[in-house]
Formats: sequence, structure tokens, C-alpha cells
Amino acid sequence: MLVDAIRAESFRLSKNRTALFWSVLFVPIITIAIGTITQFVLKANEAKLLADAEAPLGLREMMASGGQLDLAQSLVQAAGNVANPIVLLFVLIGAATLYAGDYRWETWRLISARNSRLNLMLGKLATVAGIALAAMLFMLLAAVIENFIRAAIFDRAVVFNATGEAFGQFAGQFGLSWLRILQFTMMGMLAATVTRSLLAALFVPLVIGVAQFFSPQMLGPMGIMPDAWLAMLINPGAAVDAISAAIAGGERAAALPDGLLLKAWISLGLWTVLPLAGALAWFEKQDLSKE
Amino acid sequence: MTAVIETPVIQVSGLTKTYGTVRALDGLDLAIPRGGVYGVLGPNGAGKSTLFRILLGLIRSTEGSATVMGGAVSEVGHMRRMGSMIETPRFPPYMTARQVLRWLALEHGIGGETDIPHWLQRVGLTEAADRRVRGFSVGMMQRLGVAAALMSRPDLVILDEPTSGMDPPGIQEMRALIRSLADDDGVTVVLASHQLLEVQRVCDRVAILNKGKLVREGAVGELTAVGERLRLAVSPQAKVLEVLGAKGAAEGDAVLADIRREEGPALIRALAEAGVDIHEARWVGTDLEAIFFTETGSVQTPETIHAR
Repeated sequence: MLVDAIRAESFRLSKNRTALFWSVLFVPIITIAIGTITQFVLKANEAKLLADAEAPLGLREMMASGGQLDLAQSLVQAAGNVANPIVLLFVLIGAATLYAGDYRWETWRLISARNSRLNLMLGKLATVAGIALAAMLFMLLAAVIENFIRAAIFDRAVVFNATGEAFGQFAGQFGLSWLRILQFTMMGMLAATVTRSLLAALFVPLVIGVAQFFSPQMLGPMGIMPDAWLAMLINPGAAVDAISAAIAGGERAAALPDGLLLKAWISLGLWTVLPLAGALAWFEKQDLSKE
Repeated sequence: MTAVIETPVIQVSGLTKTYGTVRALDGLDLAIPRGGVYGVLGPNGAGKSTLFRILLGLIRSTEGSATVMGGAVSEVGHMRRMGSMIETPRFPPYMTARQVLRWLALEHGIGGETDIPHWLQRVGLTEAADRRVRGFSVGMMQRLGVAAALMSRPDLVILDEPTSGMDPPGIQEMRALIRSLADDDGVTVVLASHQLLEVQRVCDRVAILNKGKLVREGAVGELTAVGERLRLAVSPQAKVLEVLGAKGAAEGDAVLADIRREEGPALIRALAEAGVDIHEARWVGTDLEAIFFTETGSVQTPETIHAR
């Protein structure tokens, strides 16, 4: 039954080329385009920037011709950065289309008797998880393409040092990014269910995300430190940063205060589960005759 | 048109739905038998759509119970044996008619692929099968909605205003389709329509709702047979009126005989023996519209009177 809902939602989404383009393909395409232009601009200004002693070290290292470019390490970094606000925004477009589409097109009445309400919502959730996964994989593909372009422009040899540690870090960062994106889409699900509005499904998570981002600045003057329970519970973005540091290991992991990881996992878990549970509970009792 | 009376396919008991202080359904008791075409009539606000929405699981009742195919409306297994179309349906505009049916088939857990051309053909949408629904007329949406309701080969189909927005040929086709579903496919069809003549033509039984309550229920033939009279186009009229006495009344050039059906053949023989020319003889009863207005206390507008 759940598999019916997933197949139906996936089929419907596959016919919505506009939503697919914006939520899955647009950001990777733009990333490749901007990345390529940036590489060419840097190459054109190579001599000037390398001669500038005040240019950032990372930039100078990136521009230095010759040497190797480790694709595995680049992928680990890309996996950690893929849940950035731009990707989140565009994945939310696809998620909002799925979560609010049946209110917008008045199609609940067509499907509500064909499956249980729980399955209908979980089918949407699974499809959104698929969108997020696809968007992330395309972003990784964009990172690979961008790296090959950079290697070609700066005469680097591409190597792939796939150590067990690199693979573990990649899997951890990728999974964490996926969870971060899904956590945002859960807020979109709750907003869509309660308001029946596509715009709410899109903007409510974004506004909450912005508020979370600025929460340390608001809590700091109140004497609440960033690693305090309240700060972590309010800001799952900080929780993601802490978990990411733990996955990365090394100095970043060592600098984490004791007990912070537990708070981080609880914060991320609550921000994921509570919106989902709220949406499912609300939907179970909802009047679906109104659109 | 014969209705097979068996275990009710829909049973509601004390069904009540309130919206604030408004009681859309007020302790409704109704049993809809399996087989045939069943009409649910009522003026706007009578509770028809609310009843259908509860039966389809779109809204929850405030009180009372409702079962469909013997199971509660929350049980998907039972619900999946039912097809429905509520008001003019809408579909994702970026999909074609064929894709809409494929999507709904997947949601229903049926392959459905091979049946899709059949249902598109049956509702007259074969040529529009691969057109996006954003360009469909209301009538085409209606046809696609009916195909969507039927494609799972349900035992029960609920149709709310199935001919709304259709042109006269489309209405005729839809009427034939509904009858064939009941007569040939054994599907129980429950429909609501404001077109009472259409309901009288297509339905075996009807229920009339008013203010959320059942006010009349029965076979169409039985309901309209009440007050039935024999209409005779005869000449000379005066001689027939004389034969009938108090049981006869003039209606234009014709005579209405207030007699029982079994008395009809004897009357006609008597009139023929008396030298009366009988040009036409037919039974006329009370039509559904008259019953509707009587039971619901609705006001007959010039339009409705003209429509009769």
C-alpha cells in the first residue's frame, strides 16, 4: 500500500518537468556554470593574484598550476556542503509542489479513497526524500565536473585517494546533509498541511531557517552560550555543524565540548520528527473536501 | 430497470455532521441496496454532498455511523472497491488524460495500463488521451473524472452531478453509460443530480433529503405511480366523460381517467363498444419533480416550471 503511494507520487512528479528542473537540476547547472566562469577568471588573473602576498592562502593553493587534485577529498567536502541554503531553497520548491499540490489542484478527492491517509503522506515524504537525494547526487556530479574543469585549466592531475577514512567521512557527511534537507522539508510538510498553501510550504521553513541562523546573536546577550541546551534545541543548524565536525574528526572534533553531540542529535531529531508527526496528526483529521 | 435488493451497499445510521451551528446532516438513516442506479436528491444544502464526502472519507462525521460495502469508511480495503467523482473534478494540469489515469491506477494499486485505453474510449476521450488536461473543457474534465472513478472496476460508484457541464449528446451518452454500468457490469451507481428528469430516467430508486434528513425514499416507479391516471385522447370527449362520471376529467381534448391499472383494459373495451374512437391511451403519474417540490417544500421558479 505504501509502495503504491510512492509509485503514484513518483510517477506524478516525473510528469511535472518544471518542478523537477527547478528542484533537482537548476542548482547543479548553475554551480557548474558559475564554477567554470570563476576558474577562467582566476586563470586570467593568475599571475597577478599569485604575486599578491595578501591573497588568501587557500586561493593561492587552488590556483597553483601543476600538482594533484584529490577528487575523493573534494567529494567529501562537497557532501558536507551540499545542504547549503541555495540547494535547500530549490529542493523546497519540489517538496512544496508535492505537499501542497493536492490542495492546489483539488485532487485529494481523487486519491483519498484509494489509499490510507498515512500512506498518502508517507508516499509524498518518500518522494521528497528521492528529490533531495537526486539533487544532492547532481550536486556531487557538478562538483566532479567542476574539479575536472579546474584540473584542466590549472594543469592538475586528477587522483582519487579513496581510503576507508575518506569513504566513511563521505558517507557520514552525505547522510547528515540529506537529513538536514529532509528536516527542512518536514517543516514544509507541516506548513502545507496546516495552511493548504504552496507558498507557506516554501517560505515557512525558510523563515524559520533564517531565524535559527540568527538565534545565537539573540541568545548571546541573554547569557545563553551556543553550546547550551536551549541554544542547541533552537538551532538545529548548529547541531548539524557539531555533528559534521565530529564526522570530520581531527582538530574540529577534538574542539567539541563534552556532551554537545548528544544535544546536537536530540535537536536534529526533534526538528525532524516533530514537524512530521504534527503534519501526520493534522492530516489524519483534516477536512479534505476543502481545497 | 430492475433493482436487486440485497445487503445494503451503503448503510448510514444516525449520521450527523455539524459545521459550527449548522447541521448539514441531522441524524440521517439510509440504506442503499446493492445493484441498480440510486439517486440522492435534495435542494442545495440538503446534505447530499456532505453525505458523499463522509462516504468517501474526505470528512469525518460528528455522530452516527456509515458503512460502505460492509466496512467502515476508514477501511481502505473497502474504500478501494468504490469509485467516485465529486462535483467537477480537477487534475494536475501538466498531465495528459492518459497519465492522469495511470497515476490514479498506481495510487489504487492496480497496473491499469491495459485498461486505460478502454476507459478513455468508454467516456469518449480516446482522441484527447494524450492532450494535457489544462486545455480540457468542463465536460471533458467530467468525462475524465468518470473514467477515473470507473477504472478500478469498482463494485460501487458515487457520482455527484455526473452530467454537469456536458452538452446534450454528452448527457445522453453519460446516461447510457450509467445504465450500462448497472445493467451490464453489475455496478451499484449512486448519483446526485439536480436534473430531476434525468434522475427519473436513469435511477431505479431515489432518496430525497431535506435539511440533512431523509424525507422520502423508494423505487422511482412506485413513487411516480401514486396518483397515476389513464390519459385518453378520444373523440367524442363528452361521451367518455359521461361513461366515466366522477372518475373522469377533461384535459384539453383528452380525458384523464382516475382508475386503477387493472381497470384499464375493461374501460378501453367499454369505450370501443360504445363507439368511441381511441387515438391514444397512456398512463401518466406524478413526476419526480412534483414529488421533489412537495417533499422539500422548495419554491418552484419560473425556470423549473418551464423545464417541466
